[in-house]
Amino acid sequence: MNQNRIILLVTLLVAGLASCKKDKDDTQAPKITPGVLVLCEGLANKNNSMLSYYSFSTQTASTDLFANTNAGTGLGDTGNDMVIYGGKMYIVMNVSSVVTVVDAHTGLKIKNIDFLKSDGAPRQPRYVIPYKSKILVSDWDGKVAVIDTTGLTIEQDINLGKTNLEQMAIIGDKLYVVNSGALNTVNDSTVSEINLNTMTETRKITVGYNPGYMTADEAGNLYITCGPDYNTGTLGARLVKVSTASNSVLKVADTSVGRIKYYNGALYAASSYEGVKTVRKLSTTDFSQQSPNFVTDGTVIVNPYNVNVNPDNDDVYITDAKDYKTSGEVFCFDKNGKIKFSFSTTPAVNPSTVVFVK
Amino acid sequence: MKTALIISAFLGVGLLLPAALVAQQKDSVITLEKVTVGSQKKKQPFTAITPAQSLNRQTLQQINAPSVGDAARFFSGVLVKDYGGVGGLKTISVRSLGAQHTGINYDGIPVSDAQTGQIDLSKYSVTFVQSIDLQQANAQTVLQPARAYAAAAVLSINTLSFSTEALQRNRWQAGLRAGSFGLWQPSAGINLALPKQMALGINAEGVFSKGNYPYYVDNGSSSLNTKRKNTDVQSFQGEINMLKQFADSATWQVKLSGYNSSRGLPGAVTFYNERSVQHLWNEDYYVQSRYRKFFNHNNTGLLISAKATRSYTRYRDPDYQNNSGGLDNRYTQYEYYLSAAVSQIVLEHLTVSASSDAAYSKLNANVVGFVYPERKSFWNSMALNYTRPLWQLNGSALLTTINDEVKTGPAASTINKLTPSFAFNGKLTAHSPFMLRLFYKHVFRMPSFDDLYYRLIGNTSLHPEYARQYNIGVVYATAMKGVVKHLQLSADAYYNSIRDKIVAVPGKTLFGWTMLNLGKVSIKGVDVTAEIDGAFSEQVNWFTRLNYTFQHALDVTDPTSVTYKNRILYTPDHSGSALASVNYRQWTAGYSLLFSGIRYDLGENNPHNQIEGWGIHDVFVSRRFNIKQYALQVKGELNNLTDQKYDVVRFFPMPGRSWKISLLFNNL
Repeated sequence: MNQNRIILLVTLLVAGLASCKKDKDDTQAPKITPGVLVLCEGLANKNNSMLSYYSFSTQTASTDLFANTNAGTGLGDTGNDMVIYGGKMYIVMNVSSVVTVVDAHTGLKIKNIDFLKSDGAPRQPRYVIPYKSKILVSDWDGKVAVIDTTGLTIEQDINLGKTNLEQMAIIGDKLYVVNSGALNTVNDSTVSEINLNTMTETRKITVGYNPGYMTADEAGNLYITCGPDYNTGTLGARLVKVSTASNSVLKVADTSVGRIKYYNGALYAASSYEGVKTVRKLSTTDFSQQSPNFVTDGTVIVNPYNVNVNPDNDDVYITDAKDYKTSGEVFCFDKNGKIKFSFSTTPAVNPSTVVFVK
Repeated sequence: MKTALIISAFLGVGLLLPAALVAQQKDSVITLEKVTVGSQKKKQPFTAITPAQSLNRQTLQQINAPSVGDAARFFSGVLVKDYGGVGGLKTISVRSLGAQHTGINYDGIPVSDAQTGQIDLSKYSVTFVQSIDLQQANAQTVLQPARAYAAAAVLSINTLSFSTEALQRNRWQAGLRAGSFGLWQPSAGINLALPKQMALGINAEGVFSKGNYPYYVDNGSSSLNTKRKNTDVQSFQGEINMLKQFADSATWQVKLSGYNSSRGLPGAVTFYNERSVQHLWNEDYYVQSRYRKFFNHNNTGLLISAKATRSYTRYRDPDYQNNSGGLDNRYTQYEYYLSAAVSQIVLEHLTVSASSDAAYSKLNANVVGFVYPERKSFWNSMALNYTRPLWQLNGSALLTTINDEVKTGPAASTINKLTPSFAFNGKLTAHSPFMLRLFYKHVFRMPSFDDLYYRLIGNTSLHPEYARQYNIGVVYATAMKGVVKHLQLSADAYYNSIRDKIVAVPGKTLFGWTMLNLGKVSIKGVDVTAEIDGAFSEQVNWFTRLNYTFQHALDVTDPTSVTYKNRILYTPDHSGSALASVNYRQWTAGYSLLFSGIRYDLGENNPHNQIEGWGIHDVFVSRRFNIKQYALQVKGELNNLTDQKYDVVRFFPMPGRSWKISLLFNNL
């Protein structure tokens, strides 16, 4: 063998490498007509949060709407919640620590609102809820940020202490925020009540150790998932009903519930990380099971992660996170649990929040 | 900044380069071979009974290999998972079996980490390393600790400290390396040949690196060119080595070693959030000793090994949003290890060996709910080696017993497993350049303390993860006259299967995942290696080393899953390396290449989860100056010539183009 042959061999090796590359496919951006938008969380440290979009008129789905309409720009890391308000989408990015504001008609990004502390540390926003031209965002830094929808800046923070905030609900002119304290060694047990006229905390209601998800009914009751207590192992997962009128716990049941959604006189309980892998329909009074599986036509959902209801036609959307690592799926059912349509969110993983485009 | 790091390999160039000296050294190795310790023997990678690869000191100087983790990339069949930069974690997975199936030996004694089950090879500098060897299945020597049989493949790091030359004369060396991204790496070592066949060696090294290399965030209209942040590394390591050779040629080695580092953890690139403040401190101390003696006309061998280790890790994340000012986790791990091995030539061609090892490890931490695990491990092995002039047959059986105890809650159940291995190699005739080799090995890895007991994530009902390896290979080795002097080629085809693979799955908590024995993996591969050297003229010598690996590592866990028969994470089908160097008088120049095909960062192999392949080109030139009885070696190198942007682990960018200059001063 001479030197030329060695050079040839090296060249072949390099050429072999070049031929291994594959081009990523580009899909055309859809226009946002009536349909649903699904926020797929992705996985932490992978910058793979995406929006899936299903159009009612074409009955087709596509994923990564945000990147497709914004020159390939990604949403970022771990999208946790999303809302459409006043023609804008507000997308809460937990690990990227921004709220991304998007034009709800064109899908074009308007701006990122940074969620940083004064020293530059990320605040890690979690959930979003609109109220009278304001957007309220709960954060892991223990504060609720108040975003002004015209200036799109944080104009005020409501400090609830050294805790980690989770889901919120509005009843009248009161905001209720779950204080989970999930990152603390000993978790929290309360829900804060905030007067939205003064933007100040008026009381803390003790609801149970390690509260997580929350939903409210029309009668001023909150339904909160609590527990378990991983430190002592003595407390399991519970579902708690709290009256905001009397600030008292009305009912506690030992049951493992992930996301919980009140709609039209019933509770829809997804399993998420724990419990049975069906969406159960529960009574709001005694939490008895109205049906062990909301789905009545045999449609198989591997891992129901979130439940969202379209208030216009009572359709129930259940997102399927599968094994949390592979492409998710979204199912639309009528109010009787019969499937209307479903679509894959591939390549996006962990579809969760569904919002409706009118 | 692998590139920014210094190539630590050059310290011994002065000793090795001139042909006359090389020859002299070879001679001394041969004459003293009987009295050296097994790991110091001249390596014969191409005649080994199982596939073996070696990077000697000379080669280590010709590649961009500041740490053992960087050097290991030049082995075929190997994936080094590299989080980038001097301070980035580097672990080695051999033939896609995972880092926890790779055993690491340091000067003949196994290195372990009961907490994670894997060794961070970025901690091991190659400055004072004599050779790095990778052997499939079992190490070559008959006389070795039982624990050495407990891995699917063994990476052995052999330092200069216990080479035979240490007994013969005083040596010293001092070096300094500087490079891009604020890299400074001073080192010094002295070896004293003492009376009564004793030697004392002391060496020390520091690494200082800013590591703030530029990288590109590929994110559409929000793309940006920026620099890695929080990448400062300061590390110090030192060793004291004592070697004693007795009149009956028994040898005794003692090593005291310390490592101390403080490093920023730049973390994954997160879109819109460049903040990075996590920090890691390590403090590792150990003492290890080996005593080896042959008696009964060299028919009986005895090897006693012992080691005591204390490893301290502190991890700080001030941004973690708890009510106690962030995370500040401290872990201290202790391990005490003792091994006795004997070998006996029972018949003319038959050697029997047996070893018995015991280890006690425990882990302390300041973490709430920590269970303070303790582990007692026992390894008992028996091996038979039947050697004929043209072929040899080797069989071994390893009995592993592992018992865990914890302060609170359940502990893993006791493991008691017997695992075998067989190997054969042979030639048709004495002068045939071809050799055939076969091996089979069944081995398991015990779940680590993190797998079993990590708060909220660990699962105490885990079983061990089993790996089976089947290998068939051919070696061709020939010596010639002319431009090509030696040509050695090997090709091995293998099939590995993993069952009860320990994988993280969500399920136990809102924020955490849990560990389960869920996976099955099927791995088919071919490793091809070539080493060729020769001379264009009397003064111009050349050397080249080529590796190519084809691997197809598939998830075969669940036929109904979308990941079924998809490639497992981060495992390319094609990868390899090439190295070529030319030596003319006092000058040496070389080129090296590393490449990898596409990979996937999730189990579902779709285009979005695909990570592009890469190819990295490095060049160097060095010149040696002799000044009286001293030698000065000056080396300059350019790494990642084409400024390739690439990730080994997605969103952990690797350094682009960088340079290094190294000086080494030593006595002759």
